[in-house]
Amino acid sequence: MKRFFKLPAADIIFALISFSAAFTILTLIFSTILVLYNESSLAIHKFGLLNFIFTVDWDPVREVFGAAASLYGTLVTTILALSIAIPVSIGIAIFLTEISPHLLRTPIGIAIEMLAAIPSIIYGMWGLFTLAPIMADYIEPALQRIFGDIPIIGKLFEGTPMGVDLLTASIILSIMITPFIASISRDSFNLTPDIVKESAYALGATKWEVIRDIVIPYSKLGVYGGIVLALGRALGETMAVAFVLGNKHQITPSLLDAAATITVTLANEFTEADSDIYLSSLFYLALILFLLSFTVLAIAKFFLLKAEKHYQR
Amino acid sequence: MTLVQRRKLKGYIALTLSTLAALSGLFWLVFIIFDVLRHGITALNLDLFLEDPAPPGIPEGGLRNAFVGQLLITSVATLIGVPLGVLGGTFIAEYARGTKFARLISILSDIMVSVPSIVVGTFIYAILVKPFGHFSGWAGAAALAFIMIPVVLRTTEDMLKLVPWTLREAAFALGASYFRVIKDIAYRAAATGILTGIILAIARVAGETAPLLFTSFNNSYFTLNMNEPMASLTVTIFNYAMGPYEDWHEKAWAAAFVITVVILVVTVVTRSIIHWRYKN
Amino acid sequence: MEEKIKIEVKNFSFYYAKSDKPALKNINMPVYENRVTALIGPSGCGKTTLLRSFNRMHDLYHGNRYEGEILLDGKNILADDVDLIDLRSRVGMVFQKPTPFPMSIFDNVAYGLKLRGIKNKSELEGRVEKALKQAALWEEVKDRLKDSASGLSGGQQQRLVIARALAVEPEVLLFDEPTSALDPISTSKIEELVVSLKETVTIIIVTHNMQQAARVSDYTAFMYLGELIEFDKTDIIFTSPKKKLTEDYITGRFG
Repeated sequence: MKRFFKLPAADIIFALISFSAAFTILTLIFSTILVLYNESSLAIHKFGLLNFIFTVDWDPVREVFGAAASLYGTLVTTILALSIAIPVSIGIAIFLTEISPHLLRTPIGIAIEMLAAIPSIIYGMWGLFTLAPIMADYIEPALQRIFGDIPIIGKLFEGTPMGVDLLTASIILSIMITPFIASISRDSFNLTPDIVKESAYALGATKWEVIRDIVIPYSKLGVYGGIVLALGRALGETMAVAFVLGNKHQITPSLLDAAATITVTLANEFTEADSDIYLSSLFYLALILFLLSFTVLAIAKFFLLKAEKHYQR
Repeated sequence: MTLVQRRKLKGYIALTLSTLAALSGLFWLVFIIFDVLRHGITALNLDLFLEDPAPPGIPEGGLRNAFVGQLLITSVATLIGVPLGVLGGTFIAEYARGTKFARLISILSDIMVSVPSIVVGTFIYAILVKPFGHFSGWAGAAALAFIMIPVVLRTTEDMLKLVPWTLREAAFALGASYFRVIKDIAYRAAATGILTGIILAIARVAGETAPLLFTSFNNSYFTLNMNEPMASLTVTIFNYAMGPYEDWHEKAWAAAFVITVVILVVTVVTRSIIHWRYKN
Repeated sequence: MEEKIKIEVKNFSFYYAKSDKPALKNINMPVYENRVTALIGPSGCGKTTLLRSFNRMHDLYHGNRYEGEILLDGKNILADDVDLIDLRSRVGMVFQKPTPFPMSIFDNVAYGLKLRGIKNKSELEGRVEKALKQAALWEEVKDRLKDSASGLSGGQQQRLVIARALAVEPEVLLFDEPTSALDPISTSKIEELVVSLKETVTIIIVTHNMQQAARVSDYTAFMYLGELIEFDKTDIIFTSPKKKLTEDYITGRFG
């Protein structure tokens, strides 16, 4: 700051203006939290915190609202989407860094980035009109045939396969978050120094052994960062999921059932809320989601920063 | 099988799986784009752009109001978001370079880039819709601007930091003020990068739906008045796709086709420019 | 005393990918068993390129071509049917910068052994200890084998890497400028190590430091622009070289 006051007038003005612009980031974050809290206060006072989180009921008529069903849907879709996306994305990253011929690397890399650029509403539409029918007519019945009779696991595939359910939503979500994990992992893999890899080859390791034992552990901070970032994105995804989830407030073990996430609940009900407590509960959900994803994204950033420092050695 | 043969076999399997993963990524991309093309191109006609929507159930009309509304809202959002983002990024890359404040803003911006856009919608609703009693194009633009600012700030910061410090030093040595150095040297050198960052940010918010759902809401009629609820392409797609009419579904596909093509072309072109320009 | 030939390089030329000009031209030289052979020469003379041919590191990068033969115990290692994993068990390598793997000290040294299917805990422990003692690192790390290797100093890391290479009991050990990133004390420790190791291993060392070559090696090969200019006992190379080029390099007239 000392050097600030030695600047000529034009600088002082420009610095002040640009400082205010930079400061808006802080303003935006704090006002979001404040405003959301303010709007939720009615619901917070009526339902408290733990009670709200664990109540499954979501009843506008009786004016009883609980976040449990929405949170359940959010967590299930996110975790399932990550389970599918992580191995696929790491596979893509391995392909791009170690297998693919050099000429193909840029075009395939661009193709992966195109997946990230497709607006989520397009994913949603495609999910509704193309994927859901395929799921309902072929994939889900097949899954029921294979797993339906196995105890415990069979419960995951109960019910009539309509295509609009947790499974379909999770699959679409996984396609959406794959580019994030894949490109961050690819960038992390590329940072492994060549001579460390050569040292492993010099000991007689095969290409896969070098990837498994050297490259992946070397890059793990970056990969974690990518995964947690994808998690943060998945938590907040609305349109891709809104078309194919059904918005039913229930906690159900079956993946073939409709459910709700916080984002889908907000999208479908916000403009329908006809009472103050209803709207306030929705704001309460929004506040919880904001704080949850902010925390997750901060953790992701932490990993990515640590990875940066680690590679600069 | 000898140990070495087993090790090599494990390797082949693992690498084949990785290749399959990459192919599946490509498969989804091609599948989705092809589907959008297939469905969208049949409903694509000039009326879509020139006519306003007909009453529900009547298979006529177009989406002129939505196209225009989308353009208006996105433009206003850009006018708000880009200056704030560029100036903010300039501050932390230049005047405050190396300070804790700069680091804090940079980290927080990165986080804000990925925050749920529907929550942004609820926030703007609370401050720009509820107090005024009605939805408006302004609120929609504000919601999009909220998302744009951190995105533009971060790319501006990154691009300015790529400009070597020695370039600035040379100008300082000639007696220039920091403001002139930024204006004449740093901005000029980083121009391509900053511009492509802006374009990518616009492409990003142009495809957003959730923040508009309860800010600009929707409007079946054509309007240029930002004070009223305003139709947008994305919200229209949402409503039409969820609706009961076959005609609506077709129109939704056509609109989806237009948005997808525009955004993909813009993304590929700008990323290629960045790749060639900064190919060290 | 009869010097036994461990490796014989015969009419060996090497081309990098997409290049018509050979990086190495028609090299002919012996490498004697249980001796230290140094490769010296100015930057770009091909000494590292030659070194990396002994364990076919060049195969990692598509398009490189070998011509001629390199015989290890009489058999050509450049043949198409040679198993690279087997070759690299017999010919190990240490690089310019220490390259510890992202694992514990113990796991680093044991890595080559685990690859070869050795799972028995006590066998692993025994061989790891032996390798660390051979690399003169055991005393310093014996109490912290489970710690991450990245916590060691540069000189210790390089000795760790040597232990890792020694654990698989290679017949030949290649050193590519192993002390260029180290401080003088670590450098002299590594040099002592190289000299002591030759009892069990045949050593080829690339160095840009002539004094180092004079200190540690028995035989020296001087290379220039991809060709072998002169090969002889180290004493002779440094006191009465036969070629003018060699003498110019030794006396510092270039490079």
